[in-house]
Amino acid sequence: MQSNKVFSRLIRWRWPTLILSLLLFGAMVANAPKLTRDTSSDAFIDSQDPALLNRERVEDIFGLSDPIVVAVVNEGEDGIYNTGSLNLVAWLTDQMMRIENIDPDQVTSLGTESSITGTASGMDVDDFFETLPINESDVERIRNGVDNFPLYQGALVARNGKATVVVGELIDPDLATETYQQIMSLLEEAPVSAGDVLHVTGEGAVAAYLSTYVDNDASRLNPLAAVVITIILLLAFRTLRGTLLPNLIVLMTAGGTIGTMAALGVSFYVITNGLIVCMIGIAVADSVHIFSQYYEEIRKDPMADGRTVTERAMSAMWKPVTLTTLTTMAGFIALAFTTTMPPIYYFGVFGAWSVALAWLFSMTTLPALLSMLKPKQSPSFRAAPAQEATPDNLSARLMDRFGSLVVNQPLAVLIIGIIIAVCASAGAMFVVANEERIDSFREVEPIHIADRTINRLMDGTYYLDVMIETDQAEGLFEPAVLRQIDQTQRYLETLPNVGGSTSIVDYIKRMHQAINEDDPAYYSIPDNKALIAQLFLLYSASGDPADFEEEIDGERRLALIRANVSVNRYQDNAVLVERVTEHLADAYPVAGASATITGDLNVDFHWINGIVRSNLLSIVLCLAAVFIMASLLFRSVVAGMFATIPVSMAVLFVYAVMGVSGIWLGVSTSMFASIAIGLGVDFSIHTLHSMQEKVSAVKGSWNERLVTLYASTGRAQLFNFLAIALGFSVLMTSTVPPLVRFGALVGVAVASAFLAAMTLLPAMALVFKPEFLQQPRVEEK
Amino acid sequence: MKHSLWVLSLAAVLPFTASAQDASREAREIIEAVNARNDGAYVSRDATFELTDRRGITRVEKTTGYRKYFGDEKRTVIFYTEPSNVRGTGFLTWDYPDIDAEDDQWLYLPALGKVRRISASDRGDYFLGTDLTYEEIKKENKIEIDDYNFSLLGESEVDGAAVVEIEAIPVNETVARELGYSRIVLSIDPQIQMSRHSEYWDVNGNRLKTIHNGNIEQIDGIWTVTEVNVINHKTDHRTRLLFENIDYETEVPDRTFNRQMLERGLR
Repeated sequence: MQSNKVFSRLIRWRWPTLILSLLLFGAMVANAPKLTRDTSSDAFIDSQDPALLNRERVEDIFGLSDPIVVAVVNEGEDGIYNTGSLNLVAWLTDQMMRIENIDPDQVTSLGTESSITGTASGMDVDDFFETLPINESDVERIRNGVDNFPLYQGALVARNGKATVVVGELIDPDLATETYQQIMSLLEEAPVSAGDVLHVTGEGAVAAYLSTYVDNDASRLNPLAAVVITIILLLAFRTLRGTLLPNLIVLMTAGGTIGTMAALGVSFYVITNGLIVCMIGIAVADSVHIFSQYYEEIRKDPMADGRTVTERAMSAMWKPVTLTTLTTMAGFIALAFTTTMPPIYYFGVFGAWSVALAWLFSMTTLPALLSMLKPKQSPSFRAAPAQEATPDNLSARLMDRFGSLVVNQPLAVLIIGIIIAVCASAGAMFVVANEERIDSFREVEPIHIADRTINRLMDGTYYLDVMIETDQAEGLFEPAVLRQIDQTQRYLETLPNVGGSTSIVDYIKRMHQAINEDDPAYYSIPDNKALIAQLFLLYSASGDPADFEEEIDGERRLALIRANVSVNRYQDNAVLVERVTEHLADAYPVAGASATITGDLNVDFHWINGIVRSNLLSIVLCLAAVFIMASLLFRSVVAGMFATIPVSMAVLFVYAVMGVSGIWLGVSTSMFASIAIGLGVDFSIHTLHSMQEKVSAVKGSWNERLVTLYASTGRAQLFNFLAIALGFSVLMTSTVPPLVRFGALVGVAVASAFLAAMTLLPAMALVFKPEFLQQPRVEEK
Repeated sequence: MKHSLWVLSLAAVLPFTASAQDASREAREIIEAVNARNDGAYVSRDATFELTDRRGITRVEKTTGYRKYFGDEKRTVIFYTEPSNVRGTGFLTWDYPDIDAEDDQWLYLPALGKVRRISASDRGDYFLGTDLTYEEIKKENKIEIDDYNFSLLGESEVDGAAVVEIEAIPVNETVARELGYSRIVLSIDPQIQMSRHSEYWDVNGNRLKTIHNGNIEQIDGIWTVTEVNVINHKTDHRTRLLFENIDYETEVPDRTFNRQMLERGLR
């Protein structure tokens, strides 16, 4: 069936079409309220990831959780050892215990802990804050207590005495952000004395807060992007319908996609915000091309009625719009199948789905509505017929001149293109794979400052853990096992960024010393298995039953070594994980005990490693998907190659900008290249399709034929490019670094895809004169 | 008009205030009766501690111990008998009636061969890795009456026995912090003057733990709990305490509670 017949039938049935499409939209969007948000950082990791499963097992065995940490910092001469700072610690401890989501029994600070001192007759256990410190001698007593207790140094009080922490365990970790904010407002009324500075951090709070931080800003900026795009549309068409109808299609696409996600029980993740902007770009692109053609048809035949004009515009545009839809879908699906992260998988799947919806509504709702409206010329398209020398419109004139330049010097364009590509490749070489969560916050954010300050002064708020597993219950009473644990701790402490480590061995050694009159010679592991067992008993009897869970399990078969690390950066983690893994392989098993690396840093290393490794594959597969789809659609491998070149340039430019400006290839940036392909391929396809038409339909030399595409398709592409690029650039005004990068890099991608499509493709066509451009249009055979 | 309304509302409140006072007095009397319950001048008994962690792994420790009143002073000694590698480890405690006097505690580790004095634990500290606090172990199902304000909640039934529910709220925040509770609900069986079941809330009002006296029997004429089950709802840690070979008849010599005997340990 011929395409114009399809659309004339559709327009005849425009009311049913309109109602049906609106009903479909309604059915999808009705589910939207069911949508759940998932801004947790664990959402980014495949729930079956072995490193994650391992960490969860360890967390379960040892009852570990991510606490919230408030630090009192005083960089004065005596550090926190002054009555003011210490009373502040007491106040904070008390206030933290009153916060609803904090377990009052699991708050740890100088205010809750005791010092253990060995004496001639036995052991004294004294609370540091037996009474509130009111004079110098109280302060001295507390300082001596900490100095004599190695376990507190670096963990509870900074080794240089400049900081101390109040640590609170959360009752419900999902409320970490709320608790963080509650503590932040609590601090405003804290009785700080001279020199005291307060900071709040904690891995759980940082991760949770980051998601909300990004999410809030994105929710604010996404609507702004839509406003900017609307302004571009207004400038492009200078008509109400040309401005409002594309927005309707955007709304239906976004609403339909979100509704489908909700209906299928897929959560709205932090990066789904990126999908919203992409949907706006995609839906607008289809509309821009259809409207450009619509106004072109009105200009050609001002007397034709609404039905006829719409029918003609749709007959001309359905093919390129369908082609871009299929190629973009191919790109998104390839992204879905190469990612290791669930949110990006859904980004790909629903990206493809939104492209399909945008196509469906652009093919049905849009023509149905357009055909009902009386044709009215667009001021932007009022001009002499296309074939005449120069159009009077600025944008069309601009594109036309640009086109002349390209078609007159095709070889030069190609050479310049190759030189630029080589330079971009060189720039892309500088891309570094790295990720640091705290780096997602601006440097002036309190949470960023807190992280840097606390990690500079204390042993480190990030954890790399080693789990020791013996082959039988009470296997930990074996002196050889404890000695090896001790050696592993000493090894861990030699590694970069590791500030200190803790395990049951530290407590055993301390107990051993305390029951021997505090003689430092006894700060050691006893050789006597029975004495070790009795020290374990003494240790377990000294705390609450769940206290020592963090170091050993109930059977005394498993133990945890926890290294405090001051930086959580992918590149540093890679070194740590590699060296610890090597050490464990060399040193274990020993006396029936084996060792496994685990902890947050190990999980972070493994999943980011997965992203980095799959990134190249993901790009290659996305490009391959575009290539195959374009080859099939144009029935030519050469056409497939043509279509792939501008998007490859876009990807290259994204990496070049990242390489030159020092933007890391990390979790969020890893998907930028795929988005660049998805959004950029439209420019290739429209150009190719238009070239094919011009070559077969227009008379004259190839130069003359091809230059005509600039004023029509070229101008539509310009508007399309401006709408998307400026829409995304709104994100650059964000205060959230990842969103700024997202906006900037997608802008770069779209700009380079547009320019490459408008320069390289016609130039290549002129130089190589490929056969596929000379074939008559397939569907009209 | 205003005046008469005020009188009316006062009239409405008064009977309640009066009955609330009565109820509180009645609750206090019940607690006094509990505290007056005879628990023997001395006792010897074996105790088994079954400590179960969140993952369901249970560690079993067995002890044998003695308790004796020296006037108002109470002395307790316990020795571990199992597992074998801690056999003979002993704890000796002298509790003084004066609330301000710090209790004395000694520890004996057989592998070290020395008795060590250890400073007293706080009342709210957990006892030897169980879910019971030193205060609860020390009071043996009695309640420090000056720590709480009591009120009567109503009547109920526990394990088939009629009980009176009494709410105990610490008298002030310092006491609450010291004990670790903001509220306790005790189900007291007036027939035996003993709590059969009690619920605890932490200082922030989160549900903390449940103590259930599962088995109560009369031994040598004295009502005695032989099985205690404790669940900590926050940590999911459980304690099951079983008492056996309870003997209130055989006199325990005074010297059992001195440091030399601790060192000589288990025979």
